[in-house]
Parts: sequence; structure tokens; C-alpha cells
Amino acid sequence: MIVSRSQHNTNNKLVFRPDGEDHPSESEHEPERRFMLGLFASMLDGVLVGAVYGLAASGLTLIWGVMDVINLTHGAMVTMGMFGVYLLFTETGLNPYAALVPVAALGFVAGVVVYWTAVHRVVGRPPLMSLLTTFAVNLMVIGTGTILWSTSPYNVDVNLPGFSLGDYTFTGNHLLAALAALIIAGGLSLFLGRTRLGKAIRAVAGNRMAAELMGIPSSQVLARAFGIGIALAALAGALIATLFPFTVLSGGSYELKSFVVTVLGGLGNPTGALAGGILLGLMEGGLTPFITVSWIPVIEFALFVAVLIAFPHGLFARRPRR
Amino acid sequence: MTEPILTITDLETGYGDVQVLWGVSLQVPAGRVTTIIGANGAGKTTTLYGTMGWLRPWRGRIALKGEDVTHLPAWAKTQRGLVLIPEGRQLFNTMTVDENLDMGAFSPRARRGREINRQRVFSLFPRLQERRRQQAGTFSGGEQQMLAVGRGLMAEPDVLMIDELSLGLSPLLTQQLFITLKTLKQQGLTIVLVEQNVHLALALSDYAYVLAEGRVFAEGPAHEVATRSDIRTAYLGL
Ligand SMILES: Nc1ncnc2c1ncn2[C@@H]1O[C@H](COP(=O)(O)OP(=O)(O)OP(=O)(O)O)[C@@H](O)[C@H]1O
Ligand SMILES: [Mg+2]
Repeated sequence: MIVSRSQHNTNNKLVFRPDGEDHPSESEHEPERRFMLGLFASMLDGVLVGAVYGLAASGLTLIWGVMDVINLTHGAMVTMGMFGVYLLFTETGLNPYAALVPVAALGFVAGVVVYWTAVHRVVGRPPLMSLLTTFAVNLMVIGTGTILWSTSPYNVDVNLPGFSLGDYTFTGNHLLAALAALIIAGGLSLFLGRTRLGKAIRAVAGNRMAAELMGIPSSQVLARAFGIGIALAALAGALIATLFPFTVLSGGSYELKSFVVTVLGGLGNPTGALAGGILLGLMEGGLTPFITVSWIPVIEFALFVAVLIAFPHGLFARRPRR
Repeated sequence: MTEPILTITDLETGYGDVQVLWGVSLQVPAGRVTTIIGANGAGKTTTLYGTMGWLRPWRGRIALKGEDVTHLPAWAKTQRGLVLIPEGRQLFNTMTVDENLDMGAFSPRARRGREINRQRVFSLFPRLQERRRQQAGTFSGGEQQMLAVGRGLMAEPDVLMIDELSLGLSPLLTQQLFITLKTLKQQGLTIVLVEQNVHLALALSDYAYVLAEGRVFAEGPAHEVATRSDIRTAYLGL
């Protein structure tokens, strides 16, 4: 079954239809049961999509945690991941999931280049400087993207078979995207915990001077960490492109979601980001049957502010022991 | 006399626009303990940072094992065997003891001998072995200083520079750490010591430099410096 994805509603949530009238034989309780099933399905779908939000946010929070830079190129890099998978799929016929590998590699290289051109000299300086330089890069990337692809919607035309739950159909795309996000997040956690570069990244994040004094070239390590953060953003973009239609400007809204997720999951905590993403997705899934989708960002940002006030280090922040 | 393993010539550096060192020259012979003493704010820590390259040298020359390393960044000097255990320990607080030691052995030369060096560190500080999986940030001051020394040794130093080993430690622990240093000296390690506890430092050292206001005020064999009355009263508070 191939459906043009742009026919879905704006957020492309699977639409809930409490169409009781079509089934005159149903018992009195049937609409209620169907509604609960629909709500459950919507929330389950939210969890799947939320895992991808979490993946996107892990890139943002990794960079934030390691070098205290709020990377405003994040959304642009999510967009690049979307178009990366789109172009590889349409131009070379590469399977979108296989395309994740080159997208990650290109994201890493782009990240290293952005680090040396726009970030290196402002690390450790007042936050406004890195906000400005990364915002400038963001404008250049989005501007170039708009010239190349305008702002009209694109979609990656794949539909993997999934399963149905009541009126809901979970496509294989949603299942696979969530699975991929979990695997990548798990890989990131192993990488940071076990590998030489991963440990060096944690060392530089913890104490840059001590890292230098132990023979760790901290600038090169930061460049690689930035590259990994961008690769994660691009991977998340690539997965999102298999779920929803997108435009050059779509990355921006995922950047905003990444900020909410980062605050939910704890600043500078890539593993918490996944939990934060799933929580946000769950909330979106639980709300969509009841409200217009336009309200969702409003509610998300109200939540963002509320969490920041109540838990300044995030909900799942790892409290420094001692 | 053979050429010193580390030579610092007319080093000038500072913070931002503020010059702190005004031409410091030191010679560190291999296998000896050289100490730098001086009042608070004399520029001892600044000398070590400038030597490492954590502070960029404004003027002067630094030679390590005959090679000009003046403009190398700190990490590259560490990889060549010049290692600083900085003031204030500067551990990786969220990492375990083992991970901190691993970071000490980051450079390619130190990685080869990593497990042997780890055993060596554990035999010097058995307490670290007992707490291998504990986070460094949860340690007491004394344990942290042991870990800082251990981490520095993991880097396989040819020259080990130590800034304020005894800061914040009990007299007993300070004694113990100095005994450890003596062992290392006997094993042939070259040490540069910056220390508040002047008595202990001079007792362990072969040669001493007295720093005052960013300049070398006096120098000489440690036992001579220890007995010079002008230095004792003016700079050592003895
Ligand atoms: N980060 C800094 N920024 C500006 N000035 C500094 C900085 N660190 C040290 N100084 C100044 O440099 C001078 C030398 O400081 P330094 O830390 O080298 O002294 P020290 O001999 O190590 O003293 P202490 O025995 O207290 O450790 C002091 O006047 C100090 O105020
Ligand atoms: Mg000092």
C-alpha cells in the first residue's frame, strides 16, 4: 500500500476517527472502547516518534554538555539529514535505511568543518558569541537549502508494512525509525562509556585543562564531538523524513522540540535525551485526539518553561554525586 | 655536566594583558629534584603553565631533551614526556579511579605500558586499588591527591612537575606523599617541585630556585638556599 504522505494532517499524526455511525451493530460501549483503543494507539505512536525526537535532542545536548555551546545550526542539520536521505533515495535509489550510513558520515564531516570555522574560536567565551556564530551558519545553510529546494514539501516515498490497532495503522516506517533511534542512542552511550575517543570527550567535557595536561588534544576532541552531535541531528532528520513530509524549514520545529527534550532529559545528558524524547512523544500522542495540533507547540513550550523553573537541571538530570 | 633535560630561558608570559613573568630561566638536570619556591603570587604556578604551554609563552625558549618545544600546546608536551600535576588536583570528577588513570595514559607512548604503570601506581597507593570503581569526585582530599599523582605517573613522565602537592593535606599524609616522591627520585625520575612546605621541599631537592615578583631572585644547591638568612627571612618565612 502506497499512500502519498502529504494527504495526512499537518503533523501527520495518524488520524483518530470515532466513526461510530458506520457500525450500527456495535453495542452501547463500543464507541467508548474504540476511543480508549484509539488513545492508546495514539500514545504508542507518540512513543515511537518520541524516540526519534530523543535522538535529535541527543545531538544538541551532547554539544551543549561537552563544550557549553548552544548549537543553533541544529535545526539546519536536521533538515540536511532529511534532504540527504531524500536525495540519496531519489537520485541513487539507495534504500533510505542504508542511506543512514552516508548521512551520518556526511553529518560528521559537516560538523567538523562547522566546528573549525565557526565554533572553535568562541568555545569558552561568553555564550552570546557561539549563539551568534552558530545562528549565522544556520542562516547560510537554510538560505542555500531554500535556493536549491524552495520551501515546498518533499517526501520520501517508502511504506513498509506494519500492523493495525483499531482504526490505527502503525506503518513499518514508524517501528523501524524508533528501533533505529534506540540502536543509535545505545551505540552513543556505549561509545561515550567504553571507547578511547568517547572517554576523551568526557574528559574534555569534565575538565579541559586536565585533559590537555594528560596529553589529550582537546580542540581536536571538541571538533569530533561537534561532528558526532551534528551526525546525530542529521540521522534524526533522515529518520523523520521517512515518517512525515518535510520542507527546508522543517528542521526548525525539531530544533525547538530538541530544546524541550533536552530540558526534560537533563542538560548535557545524551542518554536522558532519549527518555525525554519518549516522554514528549507520549504527551503529544496523548493530546492529539483531544486538541488541534496547532496547540501542541504552545503546550510544549509552557511545559518547557515550567520544567525549567521547577527543575533547573532537567527532570532526569544526573545529580552530581557528593 | 651533561645538558639539562629541561631548559627554560627568559620565559615571559601572563594573563590577558597582565604580564606576570619577566624573564624566568631555569635548568632542570635529569634524575634530580629541582624546586621552585617563593611567596604567594610570586609566579610559580604561572611558570609551570607557561612551560607546559597552557599559557602561551610571550617570549623566551623552552627546550625538552634538546628539542625546541616553546610553541607546542600542552598536550603535545605531555606526549613528549613533560608532565604537570596541576595545582588543585583537577581530576575528572565524574569518572572512576580507573578511568582517571586511563586518561593519564592517553598518549601513544604511555598506552603501551598502561597496565604495568597501573600496577606500579597501585603499589604506591594501595588505597586507589581498593576504590578502582569509585568516582573521583567522591574522594577525600588526600585520596584525590594520590589519584592526581597516580594519573600523572600513568603518563610515563621523563620530567614530572608537581604544583602544591601538600595543599590541604594533613601533615601525616604530606609526609607519606613525600616518601613516595623520594622513592620515585631513587628510581631515577626527574622532578620539578613547587611547594608551600618549604622545609620538606628543600630536604628532598638537589637544587632550588627562589622566585619573587616574576623573576628568579636567587638560586643554588638546596642545602645552601635553606641556610641563606636573607632568603629565609624575606621569602620563605622561616
Ligand atoms: N587567571 C589569572 N588571571 C589573572 N592573573 C592571575 C591569574 N592567575 C594568577 N594571576 C596572577 O599572577 C601572579 C602569579 O600567580 P601564580 O599563581 O603564578 O603565583 P604562585 O607563585 O603560584 O602563588 P601561590 O603560592 O599562591 O600558588 C599573581 O599576581 C596572580 O594574581
Ligand atoms: Mg601556585
